[in-house]
Amino acid sequence: MNDFSIAGSQSSPAIQSSWESGVLAMQGDSYPENSYELFHQVIEWIERYLAEANRPLRLELHLLYLNTSSIKAMMDIFDLLEAAHQEGKSVAVNWHYDRRNERVVELAEEFKEDCTFPFMIQSAD
Amino acid sequence: MRGHNPLESQVVESLADLHNQGHPLHDTLSQLWEAHNNLLNRIERIARVSDGYQSIVRDREMTLSARFDKQLRQLEKVARISDRYQVMMRDLNIALTEASTHDALTGIANRRLLTDRLREESERAKRYSRPLCLVMVDIDRFKAINDSHGHEIGDNVLVEVVRVLEAEIREHDLCGRWGGEEFLVMMPETTRDHAVLSMERLRQAVASLRVRVNDDSLSVTVSLGMAELRADENYSSAINRADVALLRAKRNGRDRYELAD
Repeated sequence: MNDFSIAGSQSSPAIQSSWESGVLAMQGDSYPENSYELFHQVIEWIERYLAEANRPLRLELHLLYLNTSSIKAMMDIFDLLEAAHQEGKSVAVNWHYDRRNERVVELAEEFKEDCTFPFMIQSAD
Repeated sequence: MRGHNPLESQVVESLADLHNQGHPLHDTLSQLWEAHNNLLNRIERIARVSDGYQSIVRDREMTLSARFDKQLRQLEKVARISDRYQVMMRDLNIALTEASTHDALTGIANRRLLTDRLREESERAKRYSRPLCLVMVDIDRFKAINDSHGHEIGDNVLVEVVRVLEAEIREHDLCGRWGGEEFLVMMPETTRDHAVLSMERLRQAVASLRVRVNDDSLSVTVSLGMAELRADENYSSAINRADVALLRAKRNGRDRYELAD
């Protein structure tokens, strides 16, 4: 219920939500022309899930390149998770990176910096 | 409520004093005293309300400033991460440019870069009527080396021959891999006579090269064909003539150079 799935393209990531399993997953590059539109529904879904589901939420991210507005959107999402975490809700992020592009680790670390909830950065083969 | 000051205490005492009860001014003073107290109360209430507003404004200012600080921190972080992505993209761009213009095995210019430079240099040579020589270099019996020693040794031979060619050409010459075991050396500002000297130097340097094969060593030779760009032809026509000359060098026994007609 309430789920959505967006097919990825060269410039925007594929996104799937699963209310049932409490997972939001994103894969690919993020250079959308209108990142507000794209991330608006993601943020809305997360807000609703955190308010209503009363179950743990996990983000599975396989993101490579993000443009500036996508970076901003991701930070807004992590702020949402941080607030939920402060309220005692169970939230977690798994950031997967390609072993061939180790520099993504440094970027994920930057995102992780202000987050006190579980934020894993792991290599994917 | 504050306490009474001496004057006020005196007024209170005078009003309470039984001796003053019949005094003609007692009533007036008592009314004045009441008016005075009302005024005091009012001033205190105004001060309280005003203080309240002030603290509301102050709270709001604090919230705004906290929000501003947070936004500023976020903006700085976005910029920082964005900068790093851009550095990453720039490095990737450089790597891609390098990969698209250079031969992966030998590291020298590939055919794409050679073609670009040939176009530029041939136009320049024609515009200023300067000499430009093109030399095709081909490793002799390369297929036999590959067949008898394997591709890995074949690759080593290519790398070693390129190393020698690169060492022997002049700084403003450009050596690139034209295809398989064929290389092209572009020699701007070089006349036919000087190109001949260069070719002979290249031929000798390769001939004295020894490529290690386990405990053994292998010697290789190259054949060369040269054409000087004519005013009435484009570079691909000059390359064709150099190719024909190279073929003649092969037919005439290899390990030698020939000049195009």
